[in-house]
Amino acid sequence: MTPASLLIAFPKGRLGDELVPKLAGTPLALDAAALKSRALRIPTATPGVAALLLKGADLPRYVAAGVASLGIVGSDTLDELDMDLLELADLGFGACRLSLCAREGLTLEALRAKPHLRLATKFPKATEAWLSREGLTAELVPLSSSAELAPLLGLADAIVDLVQTGGTLRAHGLVETAVLGHSSARLVAARGAYLSEPGRIRPLAEGLIQSLSSSVKPAVAKGV
Amino acid sequence: MPVRTPHFPDLLFGAAARLRRWEGALMGLLEAHGYRELHPSLVLREAVPDGSLRFFDGDELVALRWDFTVSLAALLARRFTEPPPRVAYAGAVFRRPVQPWEAVERFEVGCERIQAEGEATGEADVELARLLMAIPGVLGLKGAILHLGNAALVRRPLEAEGLPPNLAEAVVAALSRRAPHRVREALADHPAAARLAAHAEALLAELDGPHTMEALKASPYAGLLQEERERMERALQSLLPILPPNLELRVDLADVAGLGFYTGPTLRLWAPGAQQELAAGGRYDRLFPGLGRPWQAAGFCVRLSRLLDLADTRPDLFEPLP
Repeated sequence: MTPASLLIAFPKGRLGDELVPKLAGTPLALDAAALKSRALRIPTATPGVAALLLKGADLPRYVAAGVASLGIVGSDTLDELDMDLLELADLGFGACRLSLCAREGLTLEALRAKPHLRLATKFPKATEAWLSREGLTAELVPLSSSAELAPLLGLADAIVDLVQTGGTLRAHGLVETAVLGHSSARLVAARGAYLSEPGRIRPLAEGLIQSLSSSVKPAVAKGV
Repeated sequence: MPVRTPHFPDLLFGAAARLRRWEGALMGLLEAHGYRELHPSLVLREAVPDGSLRFFDGDELVALRWDFTVSLAALLARRFTEPPPRVAYAGAVFRRPVQPWEAVERFEVGCERIQAEGEATGEADVELARLLMAIPGVLGLKGAILHLGNAALVRRPLEAEGLPPNLAEAVVAALSRRAPHRVREALADHPAAARLAAHAEALLAELDGPHTMEALKASPYAGLLQEERERMERALQSLLPILPPNLELRVDLADVAGLGFYTGPTLRLWAPGAQQELAAGGRYDRLFPGLGRPWQAAGFCVRLSRLLDLADTRPDLFEPLP
Protein backbone atom coordinates (compact mmCIF):
# COMPACT_ATOMS: atom_id res chain seq x y z
CA MET A 1 0.00 0.00 0.00
CA THR A 2 1.35 3.41 -0.90
CA PRO A 3 0.82 6.23 1.60
CA ALA A 4 -1.48 8.08 -0.82
CA SER A 5 -4.07 5.47 -1.78
CA LEU A 6 -6.48 3.25 0.10
CA LEU A 7 -7.83 0.07 -1.42
CA ILE A 8 -10.95 -1.81 -0.38
CA ALA A 9 -11.42 -5.36 -1.62
CA PHE A 10 -14.96 -6.18 -2.74
CA PRO A 11 -16.09 -9.66 -3.73
CA LYS A 12 -17.15 -10.67 -7.20
CA GLY A 13 -20.01 -13.10 -7.66
CA ARG A 14 -23.11 -13.62 -5.53
CA LEU A 15 -21.99 -11.48 -2.60
CA GLY A 16 -20.76 -8.73 -4.91
CA ASP A 17 -24.11 -8.71 -6.72
CA GLU A 18 -25.81 -7.97 -3.40
CA LEU A 19 -23.19 -5.46 -2.29
CA VAL A 20 -22.93 -3.13 -5.30
CA PRO A 21 -26.56 -1.88 -5.19
CA LYS A 22 -26.25 -1.29 -1.43
CA LEU A 23 -23.30 1.03 -2.04
CA ALA A 24 -25.10 3.13 -4.65
CA GLY A 25 -25.48 6.72 -3.48
CA THR A 26 -22.99 6.29 -0.62
CA PRO A 27 -19.45 7.75 -0.42
CA LEU A 28 -18.14 4.36 -1.49
CA ALA A 29 -20.40 3.94 -4.52
CA LEU A 30 -18.52 2.30 -7.36
CA ASP A 31 -17.96 4.13 -10.62
CA ALA A 32 -20.68 2.81 -12.94
CA ALA A 33 -18.66 3.15 -16.16
CA ALA A 34 -15.68 1.32 -14.68
CA LEU A 35 -17.99 -1.42 -13.39
CA LYS A 36 -19.23 -2.08 -16.93
CA SER A 37 -15.65 -2.35 -18.19
CA ARG A 38 -13.30 -5.22 -17.50
CA ALA A 39 -11.38 -3.12 -14.98
CA LEU A 40 -10.70 -4.82 -11.65
CA ARG A 41 -9.66 -1.61 -9.88
CA ILE A 42 -12.70 0.63 -9.65
CA PRO A 43 -12.76 4.25 -8.45
CA THR A 44 -15.26 5.05 -5.71
CA ALA A 45 -17.15 8.27 -5.03
CA THR A 46 -14.46 9.12 -2.43
CA PRO A 47 -11.24 10.49 -3.96
CA GLY A 48 -8.18 8.46 -2.98
CA VAL A 49 -10.22 5.34 -2.23
CA ALA A 50 -10.49 2.63 -4.88
CA ALA A 51 -12.10 -0.78 -4.87
CA LEU A 52 -10.52 -4.04 -6.01
CA LEU A 53 -12.93 -6.64 -7.35
CA LEU A 54 -11.65 -10.06 -6.33
CA LYS A 55 -12.78 -13.65 -6.13
CA GLY A 56 -13.88 -14.45 -2.60
CA ALA A 57 -11.21 -17.11 -2.12
CA ASP A 58 -8.44 -14.63 -3.03
CA LEU A 59 -9.80 -11.62 -1.19
CA PRO A 60 -8.65 -12.42 2.38
CA ARG A 61 -5.10 -12.89 1.15
CA TYR A 62 -5.03 -9.34 -0.29
CA VAL A 63 -6.30 -7.95 3.00
CA ALA A 64 -4.06 -10.06 5.23
CA ALA A 65 -1.03 -8.92 3.25
CA GLY A 66 -2.10 -5.29 3.65
CA VAL A 67 -2.54 -4.66 -0.08
CA ALA A 68 -6.16 -3.78 0.62
CA SER A 69 -6.88 -2.10 3.96
CA LEU A 70 -10.48 -3.30 4.16
CA GLY A 71 -12.55 -5.97 2.50
CA ILE A 72 -15.94 -7.63 2.45
CA VAL A 73 -16.08 -11.39 2.28
CA GLY A 74 -18.32 -14.28 3.34
CA SER A 75 -17.64 -15.82 6.73
CA ASP A 76 -17.57 -19.25 5.05
CA THR A 77 -14.48 -18.18 3.08
CA LEU A 78 -12.87 -16.68 6.18
CA ASP A 79 -13.38 -19.89 8.11
CA GLU A 80 -11.83 -21.99 5.34
CA LEU A 81 -8.75 -19.82 4.90
CA ASP A 82 -8.09 -18.78 8.50
CA MET A 83 -5.98 -15.77 7.49
CA ASP A 84 -4.53 -13.31 9.99
CA LEU A 85 -6.89 -10.37 9.64
CA LEU A 86 -9.43 -8.44 11.67
CA GLU A 87 -13.16 -9.08 11.34
CA LEU A 88 -14.79 -5.82 12.30
CA ALA A 89 -18.48 -6.51 11.73
CA ASP A 90 -21.06 -9.01 10.66
CA LEU A 91 -22.73 -7.07 7.85
CA GLY A 92 -25.76 -9.34 7.86
CA PHE A 93 -26.40 -9.56 4.14
CA GLY A 94 -25.50 -12.51 1.93
CA ALA A 95 -26.85 -14.83 4.60
CA CYS A 96 -26.86 -18.49 3.67
CA ARG A 97 -26.45 -21.92 5.18
CA LEU A 98 -23.59 -24.36 4.81
CA SER A 99 -25.46 -27.61 4.36
CA LEU A 100 -25.04 -31.28 3.68
CA CYS A 101 -27.11 -31.98 0.58
CA ALA A 102 -27.98 -35.31 -0.99
CA ARG A 103 -30.34 -36.71 -3.58
CA GLU A 104 -33.97 -36.64 -2.56
CA GLY A 105 -34.84 -39.68 -0.48
CA LEU A 106 -31.33 -40.19 0.87
CA THR A 107 -31.53 -39.40 4.58
CA LEU A 108 -28.81 -38.37 7.00
CA GLU A 109 -29.16 -41.76 8.70
CA ALA A 110 -28.61 -43.51 5.39
CA LEU A 111 -25.49 -41.42 4.78
CA ARG A 112 -24.24 -42.18 8.29
CA ALA A 113 -24.69 -45.89 7.64
CA LYS A 114 -22.50 -45.91 4.55
CA PRO A 115 -19.23 -47.78 5.17
CA HIS A 116 -17.36 -45.43 2.83
CA LEU A 117 -18.99 -42.04 2.67
CA ARG A 118 -17.77 -39.66 -0.02
CA LEU A 119 -18.53 -35.94 0.27
CA ALA A 120 -17.73 -33.41 -2.44
CA THR A 121 -17.14 -29.86 -1.25
CA LYS A 122 -15.47 -26.50 -1.67
CA PHE A 123 -15.34 -26.31 2.12
CA PRO A 124 -13.06 -29.10 3.37
CA LYS A 125 -12.19 -27.43 6.66
CA ALA A 126 -15.79 -26.83 7.74
CA THR A 127 -16.72 -30.32 6.53
CA GLU A 128 -13.91 -31.94 8.50
CA ALA A 129 -14.96 -30.02 11.62
CA TRP A 130 -18.56 -31.21 11.23
CA LEU A 131 -17.46 -34.82 10.63
CA SER A 132 -15.37 -34.62 13.77
CA ARG A 133 -18.29 -33.26 15.81
CA GLU A 134 -20.55 -36.00 14.48
CA GLY A 135 -17.99 -38.77 15.02
CA LEU A 136 -18.04 -39.65 11.32
CA THR A 137 -15.34 -40.35 8.78
CA ALA A 138 -15.58 -39.64 5.08
CA GLU A 139 -13.50 -39.29 1.96
CA LEU A 140 -13.53 -35.64 0.91
CA VAL A 141 -13.65 -34.89 -2.80
CA PRO A 142 -12.33 -31.34 -3.28
CA LEU A 143 -14.19 -29.30 -5.92
CA SER A 144 -14.05 -25.63 -6.81
CA SER A 145 -17.39 -25.25 -8.61
CA SER A 146 -20.67 -26.94 -9.64
CA ALA A 147 -20.62 -29.29 -6.66
CA GLU A 148 -24.31 -30.13 -7.32
CA LEU A 149 -23.24 -32.36 -10.19
CA ALA A 150 -21.15 -34.66 -7.98
CA PRO A 151 -24.00 -36.74 -6.45
CA LEU A 152 -25.86 -36.90 -9.74
CA LEU A 153 -22.85 -38.32 -11.60
CA GLY A 154 -21.63 -40.66 -8.87
CA LEU A 155 -18.55 -38.65 -7.92
CA ALA A 156 -19.80 -38.40 -4.32
CA ASP A 157 -22.68 -39.55 -2.11
CA ALA A 158 -23.50 -36.02 -1.03
CA ILE A 159 -22.12 -32.48 -1.07
CA VAL A 160 -21.42 -29.81 1.50
CA ASP A 161 -22.21 -26.46 -0.07
CA LEU A 162 -23.74 -23.05 0.51
CA VAL A 163 -27.51 -22.85 0.23
CA GLN A 164 -29.31 -19.53 0.00
CA THR A 165 -32.76 -20.12 -1.50
CA GLY A 166 -32.40 -23.81 -2.35
CA GLY A 167 -33.34 -23.17 -6.00
CA THR A 168 -30.14 -24.67 -7.44
CA LEU A 169 -30.50 -27.72 -5.22
CA ARG A 170 -34.09 -28.32 -6.29
CA ALA A 171 -33.13 -27.92 -9.95
CA HIS A 172 -30.70 -30.82 -9.47
CA GLY A 173 -33.01 -33.03 -7.39
CA LEU A 174 -31.04 -32.44 -4.18
CA VAL A 175 -32.29 -31.63 -0.67
CA GLU A 176 -30.65 -30.35 2.51
CA THR A 177 -30.15 -33.18 4.98
CA ALA A 178 -28.23 -31.26 7.66
CA VAL A 179 -27.19 -27.67 8.34
CA LEU A 180 -23.50 -27.43 9.28
CA GLY A 181 -23.34 -23.69 9.84
CA HIS A 182 -24.32 -20.24 8.70
CA SER A 183 -22.51 -17.62 6.67
CA SER A 184 -22.91 -13.90 6.04
CA ALA A 185 -20.85 -10.99 4.73
CA ARG A 186 -18.14 -9.73 7.08
CA LEU A 187 -16.16 -6.50 7.04
CA VAL A 188 -12.49 -7.40 7.38
CA ALA A 189 -9.44 -5.21 7.88
CA ALA A 190 -5.70 -5.59 7.52
CA ARG A 191 -4.31 -5.92 11.03
CA GLY A 192 -1.38 -3.63 10.32
CA ALA A 193 -3.39 -0.90 8.63
CA TYR A 194 -6.07 -0.89 11.32
CA LEU A 195 -3.67 -0.85 14.26
CA SER A 196 -1.03 1.46 12.81
CA GLU A 197 -3.30 3.95 11.04
CA PRO A 198 -6.62 3.96 12.85
CA GLY A 199 -7.15 7.61 11.90
CA ARG A 200 -7.28 6.64 8.23
CA ILE A 201 -8.91 3.24 8.38
CA ARG A 202 -11.54 3.50 11.11
CA PRO A 203 -13.56 6.33 9.49
CA LEU A 204 -13.65 4.32 6.28
CA ALA A 205 -14.74 1.18 8.14
CA GLU A 206 -17.40 3.13 10.02
CA GLY A 207 -18.55 4.68 6.73
CA LEU A 208 -18.93 1.25 5.19
CA ILE A 209 -20.88 -0.04 8.16
CA GLN A 210 -23.10 3.02 8.05
CA SER A 211 -23.66 2.61 4.31
CA LEU A 212 -24.71 -0.97 4.85
CA SER A 213 -26.45 -0.21 8.15
CA SER A 214 -29.84 -1.64 7.18
CA SER A 215 -28.38 -5.13 7.45
CA VAL A 216 -25.71 -4.71 10.15
CA LYS A 217 -26.52 -6.33 13.47
CA PRO A 218 -26.68 -3.39 15.94
CA ALA A 219 -24.62 -4.99 18.71
CA VAL A 220 -21.82 -5.53 16.21
CA ALA A 221 -21.79 -1.98 14.92
CA LYS A 222 -21.33 -0.72 18.48
CA GLY A 223 -18.05 -2.56 18.85
CA VAL A 224 -16.37 -0.97 15.86
CA MET B 1 1.62 -24.12 1.18
CA PRO B 2 4.78 -24.29 -0.95
CA VAL B 3 6.38 -20.89 -1.42
CA ARG B 4 9.50 -19.69 -3.15
CA THR B 5 10.26 -16.52 -1.26
CA PRO B 6 13.70 -15.54 0.02
CA HIS B 7 13.39 -17.19 3.40
CA PHE B 8 17.11 -16.92 4.02
CA PRO B 9 17.82 -13.34 3.01
CA ASP B 10 21.24 -12.24 1.80
CA LEU B 11 21.74 -8.63 2.83
CA LEU B 12 23.50 -6.49 0.25
CA PHE B 13 25.56 -3.40 1.09
CA GLY B 14 22.79 -0.96 2.05
CA ALA B 15 20.76 -3.39 4.16
CA ALA B 16 23.88 -4.94 5.72
CA ALA B 17 25.16 -1.51 6.73
CA ARG B 18 21.75 -0.55 8.12
CA LEU B 19 21.52 -3.77 10.14
CA ARG B 20 25.01 -3.25 11.58
CA ARG B 21 24.22 0.40 12.44
CA TRP B 22 20.84 -0.41 14.04
CA GLU B 23 22.24 -3.31 16.06
CA GLY B 24 25.04 -1.10 17.35
CA ALA B 25 22.77 1.82 18.20
CA LEU B 26 20.17 -0.34 19.96
CA MET B 27 22.73 -2.32 21.96
CA GLY B 28 24.36 1.00 22.90
CA LEU B 29 21.02 2.30 24.17
CA LEU B 30 20.44 -0.85 26.21
CA GLU B 31 23.96 -0.85 27.61
CA ALA B 32 23.56 2.77 28.68
CA HIS B 33 20.57 1.66 30.76
CA GLY B 34 22.45 -1.15 32.49
CA TYR B 35 21.57 -4.07 30.21
CA ARG B 36 24.47 -6.50 29.71
CA GLU B 37 24.73 -8.68 26.66
CA LEU B 38 24.37 -12.43 26.75
CA HIS B 39 24.80 -14.50 23.64
CA PRO B 40 23.18 -17.94 23.85
CA SER B 41 24.45 -20.57 21.43
CA LEU B 42 22.96 -20.69 17.95
CA VAL B 43 22.39 -24.43 18.40
CA LEU B 44 19.79 -25.88 20.78
CA ARG B 45 20.56 -29.36 21.99
CA GLU B 46 17.56 -29.84 24.23
CA ALA B 47 13.84 -29.14 23.86
CA VAL B 48 13.70 -29.03 20.06
CA PRO B 49 10.33 -27.40 19.36
CA ASP B 50 7.99 -27.61 16.38
CA GLY B 51 8.51 -24.68 14.07
CA SER B 52 12.25 -24.61 14.64
CA LEU B 53 14.83 -25.44 11.98
CA ARG B 54 15.97 -28.94 12.93
CA PHE B 55 18.82 -31.08 11.72
CA PHE B 56 20.91 -34.04 12.82
CA ASP B 57 24.32 -33.50 14.38
CA GLY B 58 25.50 -37.07 14.08
CA ASP B 59 22.75 -39.09 15.76
CA GLU B 60 21.49 -36.15 17.79
CA LEU B 61 18.52 -34.06 16.68
CA VAL B 62 19.30 -30.38 17.30
CA ALA B 63 17.72 -27.08 16.28
CA LEU B 64 18.85 -23.59 15.45
CA ARG B 65 18.00 -20.92 18.02
CA TRP B 66 14.35 -20.06 17.34
CA ASP B 67 13.62 -17.57 20.13
CA PHE B 68 16.03 -15.50 22.19
CA THR B 69 13.83 -15.27 25.28
CA VAL B 70 13.46 -19.04 25.53
CA SER B 71 17.17 -19.64 24.82
CA LEU B 72 18.19 -17.03 27.37
CA ALA B 73 15.80 -18.39 29.98
CA ALA B 74 17.31 -21.86 29.64
CA LEU B 75 20.83 -20.42 29.88
CA LEU B 76 20.00 -18.22 32.89
CA ALA B 77 18.21 -20.98 34.77
CA ARG B 78 21.13 -23.34 34.15
CA ARG B 79 24.03 -21.00 34.87
CA PHE B 80 22.81 -18.50 37.50
CA THR B 81 21.47 -18.95 41.01
CA GLU B 82 20.46 -15.28 41.29
CA PRO B 83 18.85 -13.55 38.30
CA PRO B 84 21.00 -10.97 36.45
CA PRO B 85 18.57 -8.03 36.56
CA ARG B 86 19.10 -6.68 33.04
CA VAL B 87 20.08 -8.73 30.01
CA ALA B 88 20.36 -7.73 26.33
CA TYR B 89 20.82 -9.76 23.16
CA ALA B 90 21.35 -9.33 19.42
CA GLY B 91 21.52 -11.81 16.57
CA ALA B 92 19.49 -14.09 14.36
CA VAL B 93 16.74 -16.56 15.13
CA PHE B 94 15.48 -19.23 12.73
CA ARG B 95 11.79 -20.07 12.77
CA ARG B 96 9.33 -21.54 10.28
CA PRO B 97 7.06 -18.66 9.27
CA VAL B 98 3.37 -18.47 10.07
CA GLN B 99 2.77 -16.22 7.09
CA PRO B 100 4.27 -17.38 3.79
CA TRP B 101 6.00 -14.09 3.11
CA GLU B 102 8.00 -14.07 6.36
CA ALA B 103 11.65 -15.05 6.38
CA VAL B 104 12.96 -18.02 8.33
CA GLU B 105 16.13 -16.20 9.38
CA ARG B 106 15.26 -13.07 11.35
CA PHE B 107 17.47 -10.48 12.97
CA GLU B 108 16.56 -9.26 16.44
CA VAL B 109 17.72 -7.06 19.28
CA GLY B 110 16.03 -7.25 22.64
CA CYS B 111 16.23 -7.13 26.38
CA GLU B 112 14.96 -8.89 29.48
CA ARG B 113 14.30 -7.41 32.93
CA ILE B 114 14.45 -10.18 35.53
CA GLN B 115 13.55 -9.99 39.23
CA ALA B 116 13.24 -12.31 42.16
CA GLU B 117 9.77 -13.51 43.07
CA GLY B 118 7.84 -11.09 45.23
CA GLU B 119 9.59 -7.90 44.11
CA ALA B 120 7.33 -5.10 42.85
CA THR B 121 7.21 -5.18 39.06
CA GLY B 122 5.48 -1.90 38.19
CA GLU B 123 8.69 0.10 37.86
CA ALA B 124 10.32 -2.58 35.71
CA ASP B 125 7.36 -2.50 33.31
CA VAL B 126 7.56 1.28 33.04
CA GLU B 127 11.34 1.05 32.55
CA LEU B 128 10.81 -1.23 29.56
CA ALA B 129 8.10 1.02 28.11
CA ARG B 130 10.40 4.04 28.42
CA LEU B 131 13.16 2.16 26.64
CA LEU B 132 10.82 1.15 23.86
CA MET B 133 9.70 4.76 23.53
CA ALA B 134 13.29 5.74 22.77
CA ILE B 135 13.72 3.18 20.02
CA PRO B 136 11.94 4.95 17.10
CA GLY B 137 14.35 7.86 17.55
CA VAL B 138 17.35 5.53 17.57
CA LEU B 139 16.13 3.83 14.38
CA GLY B 140 15.38 7.10 12.60
CA LEU B 141 11.64 6.46 12.32
CA LYS B 142 9.75 9.68 11.65
CA GLY B 143 6.74 8.52 13.62
CA ALA B 144 5.63 5.55 15.69
CA ILE B 145 2.81 4.28 17.86
CA LEU B 146 3.28 2.43 21.12
CA HIS B 147 0.38 0.20 22.13
CA LEU B 148 0.01 -0.67 25.80
CA GLY B 149 -2.03 -3.74 26.63
CA ASN B 150 -2.39 -6.27 29.40
CA ALA B 151 -2.77 -10.00 28.87
CA ALA B 152 -4.47 -10.36 32.26
CA LEU B 153 -7.51 -8.45 30.99
CA VAL B 154 -8.48 -11.50 28.95
CA ARG B 155 -6.68 -14.27 30.80
CA ARG B 156 -8.19 -13.64 34.25
CA PRO B 157 -11.89 -13.58 33.24
CA LEU B 158 -11.40 -16.75 31.18
CA GLU B 159 -9.73 -18.45 34.15
CA ALA B 160 -12.39 -17.16 36.56
CA GLU B 161 -15.16 -18.66 34.41
CA GLY B 162 -13.31 -21.98 34.13
CA LEU B 163 -13.77 -22.16 30.37
CA PRO B 164 -12.55 -25.42 28.81
CA PRO B 165 -9.37 -24.93 26.75
CA ASN B 166 -11.02 -25.26 23.33
CA LEU B 167 -13.69 -22.69 24.20
CA ALA B 168 -11.14 -20.31 25.72
CA GLU B 169 -9.09 -20.70 22.55
CA ALA B 170 -12.11 -19.82 20.40
CA VAL B 171 -12.79 -16.69 22.49
CA VAL B 172 -9.16 -15.59 22.23
CA ALA B 173 -9.19 -16.20 18.46
CA ALA B 174 -12.32 -14.05 18.16
CA LEU B 175 -10.74 -11.27 20.21
CA SER B 176 -7.60 -11.50 18.12
CA ARG B 177 -9.82 -10.79 15.11
CA ARG B 178 -11.52 -7.99 17.07
CA ALA B 179 -14.82 -9.68 16.33
CA PRO B 180 -17.27 -9.50 19.26
CA HIS B 181 -19.88 -11.28 17.15
CA ARG B 182 -17.49 -14.25 16.93
CA VAL B 183 -17.18 -14.26 20.74
CA ARG B 184 -20.96 -14.61 20.98
CA GLU B 185 -20.97 -17.34 18.33
CA ALA B 186 -18.21 -19.25 20.11
CA LEU B 187 -19.86 -19.11 23.54
CA ALA B 188 -23.39 -19.85 22.25
CA ASP B 189 -25.37 -21.03 25.30
CA HIS B 190 -22.49 -21.28 27.80
CA PRO B 191 -23.56 -19.95 31.23
CA ALA B 192 -20.90 -17.21 31.06
CA ALA B 193 -21.75 -16.21 27.47
CA ALA B 194 -23.49 -12.93 28.30
CA ARG B 195 -20.78 -11.81 30.75
CA LEU B 196 -17.87 -12.68 28.48
CA ALA B 197 -19.56 -11.15 25.41
CA ALA B 198 -20.11 -7.91 27.35
CA HIS B 199 -16.46 -8.02 28.44
CA ALA B 200 -15.33 -8.51 24.83
CA GLU B 201 -17.38 -5.50 23.75
CA ALA B 202 -15.84 -3.42 26.54
CA LEU B 203 -12.32 -4.43 25.47
CA LEU B 204 -13.05 -3.67 21.83
CA ALA B 205 -15.13 -0.54 22.32
CA GLU B 206 -12.28 1.96 22.04
CA LEU B 207 -8.90 1.54 20.44
CA ASP B 208 -7.53 4.81 21.74
CA GLY B 209 -8.58 8.13 23.15
CA PRO B 210 -9.28 9.33 26.67
CA HIS B 211 -12.22 6.97 27.22
CA THR B 212 -10.29 3.78 26.57
CA MET B 213 -9.67 2.97 30.22
CA GLU B 214 -13.21 4.07 31.09
CA ALA B 215 -14.54 1.35 28.78
CA LEU B 216 -13.06 -1.23 31.10
CA LYS B 217 -15.31 0.00 33.91
CA ALA B 218 -18.31 -1.18 31.88
CA SER B 219 -17.09 -4.77 31.94
CA PRO B 220 -18.81 -7.32 34.21
CA TYR B 221 -15.26 -8.15 35.36
CA ALA B 222 -14.39 -4.57 36.32
CA GLY B 223 -13.93 -5.60 39.98
CA LEU B 224 -11.77 -8.60 39.13
CA LEU B 225 -9.58 -6.41 36.91
CA GLN B 226 -9.40 -3.34 39.13
CA GLU B 227 -5.75 -3.96 40.04
CA GLU B 228 -4.74 -4.30 36.38
CA ARG B 229 -6.68 -1.16 35.44
CA GLU B 230 -5.04 0.87 38.21
CA ARG B 231 -1.65 -0.46 37.16
CA MET B 232 -2.24 0.58 33.55
CA GLU B 233 -3.42 4.01 34.66
CA ARG B 234 -0.28 4.48 36.75
CA ALA B 235 1.88 3.45 33.78
CA LEU B 236 0.07 5.96 31.56
CA GLN B 237 0.59 8.70 34.14
CA SER B 238 4.31 7.92 34.16
CA LEU B 239 4.72 7.71 30.41
CA LEU B 240 2.49 10.44 28.99
CA PRO B 241 4.52 13.41 30.35
CA ILE B 242 7.74 12.08 28.79
CA LEU B 243 6.32 11.09 25.43
CA PRO B 244 8.86 11.97 22.72
CA PRO B 245 7.70 14.00 19.73
CA ASN B 246 6.29 11.88 16.88
CA LEU B 247 5.40 8.99 19.19
CA GLU B 248 1.76 8.25 19.98
CA LEU B 249 0.81 6.24 23.03
CA ARG B 250 -2.34 4.15 22.74
CA VAL B 251 -4.07 1.69 25.00
CA ASP B 252 -5.11 -1.56 23.36
CA LEU B 253 -7.30 -3.44 25.84
CA ALA B 254 -7.94 -6.31 23.42
CA ASP B 255 -4.31 -7.23 22.74
CA VAL B 256 -4.31 -11.02 22.94
CA ALA B 257 -1.27 -11.82 20.79
CA GLY B 258 0.91 -14.29 22.66
CA LEU B 259 -1.69 -14.73 25.39
CA GLY B 260 -0.38 -18.19 26.17
CA PHE B 261 2.97 -16.65 27.08
CA TYR B 262 2.30 -13.18 28.47
CA THR B 263 0.85 -12.79 31.95
CA GLY B 264 0.63 -9.00 32.41
CA PRO B 265 1.41 -5.73 30.62
CA THR B 266 2.22 -5.95 26.91
CA LEU B 267 3.97 -3.51 24.57
CA ARG B 268 3.81 -3.25 20.78
CA LEU B 269 5.52 -0.73 18.57
CA TRP B 270 4.07 0.19 15.17
CA ALA B 271 4.96 2.69 12.48
CA PRO B 272 2.08 4.37 10.63
CA GLY B 273 1.41 2.28 7.54
CA ALA B 274 3.55 -0.67 8.62
CA GLN B 275 1.81 -3.99 8.09
CA GLN B 276 3.48 -5.70 11.03
CA GLU B 277 4.52 -4.60 14.51
CA LEU B 278 8.18 -3.59 14.68
CA ALA B 279 8.80 -4.49 18.29
CA ALA B 280 6.82 -6.41 20.87
CA GLY B 281 7.10 -7.63 24.41
CA GLY B 282 5.55 -7.81 27.81
CA ARG B 283 5.55 -9.57 31.15
CA TYR B 284 5.86 -13.35 31.23
CA ASP B 285 6.06 -14.37 34.87
CA ARG B 286 5.42 -18.08 34.28
CA LEU B 287 8.54 -18.74 32.19
CA PHE B 288 11.22 -19.03 34.90
CA PRO B 289 9.10 -20.89 37.49
CA GLY B 290 8.56 -23.49 34.75
CA LEU B 291 12.35 -23.89 34.63
CA GLY B 292 12.65 -24.24 38.37
CA ARG B 293 13.60 -20.63 39.17
CA PRO B 294 11.29 -18.41 41.28
CA TRP B 295 11.93 -15.35 39.11
CA GLN B 296 9.69 -12.84 37.35
CA ALA B 297 10.55 -11.43 33.95
CA ALA B 298 9.52 -9.01 31.25
CA GLY B 299 11.20 -7.90 28.05
CA PHE B 300 10.81 -6.88 24.45
CA CYS B 301 12.28 -7.71 21.09
CA VAL B 302 12.93 -5.31 18.20
CA ARG B 303 12.30 -7.10 14.90
CA LEU B 304 15.10 -5.77 12.75
CA SER B 305 14.19 -7.93 9.72
CA ARG B 306 10.77 -6.25 9.55
CA LEU B 307 12.43 -2.86 9.92
CA LEU B 308 14.80 -3.65 7.06
CA ASP B 309 11.81 -4.61 4.90
CA LEU B 310 10.04 -1.42 5.90
CA ALA B 311 13.07 0.73 5.11
CA ASP B 312 13.13 -0.90 1.69
CA THR B 313 9.41 -0.57 0.89
CA ARG B 314 8.55 2.63 2.78
CA PRO B 315 11.71 4.76 2.96
CA ASP B 316 9.42 7.77 3.46
CA LEU B 317 8.82 6.56 7.03
CA PHE B 318 12.49 7.08 7.97
CA GLU B 319 14.64 10.14 8.39
CA PRO B 320 17.21 10.44 5.58
CA LEU B 321 20.55 8.83 6.39
CA PRO B 322 23.30 11.27 7.42
